[in-house]
Amino acid sequence: MSTPAIKSQPIYAELEWDRTGTHHILFVSAEDAALAQRLLSNPPGGTLTVVHLRPADDSRSAWSQNLPDTALYLETHTLAEALEVLRDAFYVAQMGTRIYLAGAEDAIWQASQLADTFGVSRDEIRHAQLGTKARPVFCVHCRTITRGVHTNIVSCSGCGRSLFVRDHFSRRLGAYMGFQIDAEVPGEVPAAEVVYP
Amino acid sequence: MSSASLNVEIRRIRDLAPGIREFSLSRTDGDDFPVYSGGSHIVLSLPLGERTHRNPYSLLGDPTDRKTWRVAVRKQEDSRGGSRWLHEQAREGMRIDIAAPVNLFALNRLGRRHILVAGGIGITPILSQARELARLGADFEVHYAYRAPEYGVFVDELEALAPGRIHHYVQSRREQIEFSSLLAGRPLGTHFYICGPGGMVAASMNAGKALGWPESHLHSEQFLAPTGGEPFDVKLTASGKAFTVPSDLSLLEAIEQQGVDAPYLCRGGACGQCELEVVDASGELIHHDLYLSAEERASGKKIMPCVSRLKGGCLTLNL
Repeated sequence: MSTPAIKSQPIYAELEWDRTGTHHILFVSAEDAALAQRLLSNPPGGTLTVVHLRPADDSRSAWSQNLPDTALYLETHTLAEALEVLRDAFYVAQMGTRIYLAGAEDAIWQASQLADTFGVSRDEIRHAQLGTKARPVFCVHCRTITRGVHTNIVSCSGCGRSLFVRDHFSRRLGAYMGFQIDAEVPGEVPAAEVVYP
Repeated sequence: MSSASLNVEIRRIRDLAPGIREFSLSRTDGDDFPVYSGGSHIVLSLPLGERTHRNPYSLLGDPTDRKTWRVAVRKQEDSRGGSRWLHEQAREGMRIDIAAPVNLFALNRLGRRHILVAGGIGITPILSQARELARLGADFEVHYAYRAPEYGVFVDELEALAPGRIHHYVQSRREQIEFSSLLAGRPLGTHFYICGPGGMVAASMNAGKALGWPESHLHSEQFLAPTGGEPFDVKLTASGKAFTVPSDLSLLEAIEQQGVDAPYLCRGGACGQCELEVVDASGELIHHDLYLSAEERASGKKIMPCVSRLKGGCLTLNL
């Protein structure tokens, strides 16, 4: 049960600093020690703000250990809190700012939607998928977004329909499209498989 | 091969400043004009003797005014005839053809703030953009630089649109726009638009880039007048023509004079529509356009015939 990759599905390039920028805001919500080491050991010029979403425990994180002295590090423990902190960062940000969003798609595209409301264009923002491949899924029937979907078929958290999860992705909604799989023959729902670990 | 053309009558001519005239145009068929977007331009076909001369001019009136379109024309000192004809020959009641509007200088409606900058006659597209932003209730400001107080055309219309948000820079009073301070510390989502002389546009773009502004937020428009130059020979492979481009015609005009249908839109080196493939050039390509990238110029494979020429020798084009 696979659909071919289509144009709207995001392709994530290796995350690099955009050194034409003069201010940098990094939002990171997943561990990747190698990436953290590579980015933080060679920081860009100008100011750097790191908004880190991490579990509220004592675990060590590569994102907080190798920071340049001049970086502003803001630790958050829920996505809602991280988005609030990001909103404040965007509110005071100036032209010349580059935005880097790294983590699970659900988190980075919610942050991206927030950036959209500030008039940020595509050449000012970079996305990188880290950690879980779980998808946010937009139900085309009831317009609810079901989050953290690991399977190719999922029960919609809004209307309960069995949705097939497509590769078609909306940047505006920050979610993949899901549509009812048993519309033709009600009740005929194949077994769901874990395809987005 | 122009876009749809409209026949219009010159209804009113107004002298706005030394060397600057405004023309009000209405359709001769009595229909309404289409609505255009702020920043659009039209191409006027001017009857200069036996040949037609086509010049682009920005529309400056109210984009929602369907009865009258306005353009303002500065008389170019080194005019090859277009602006001089409009200043010396054009009369109220005359009819001319124009091409439907094209916008190469559109507003970004997702912007949260808009900084509009005009240098001299560059005020024309800025005025229609300001009208559109005022109508949308958007956050904008205008910075307008001109030679001397009497050259500040349309300042009353601007002040009425955005009281307190129009900033004047009068050269005769030694006032000038400092782009590094104008563009510094602007909030995320700000867009910058400039129309003016080449040096001013370049200075603003450099200041923006140095401050980290991305290209998508830096908008500029310049129209170049074909400069003329040395005559050169041309061969067209597809249509099998061979001719000489005289010094007072652009390559595009010379091609049209041969009866060959070449594509164009802005005729001012800005839009890229007229790009032609160079098959061979036994001379130096003199690129004047604002469209081709440095790599494309270096490749020697492309030319914009509306403003660019060959120095010496023969140019073979795939047309």
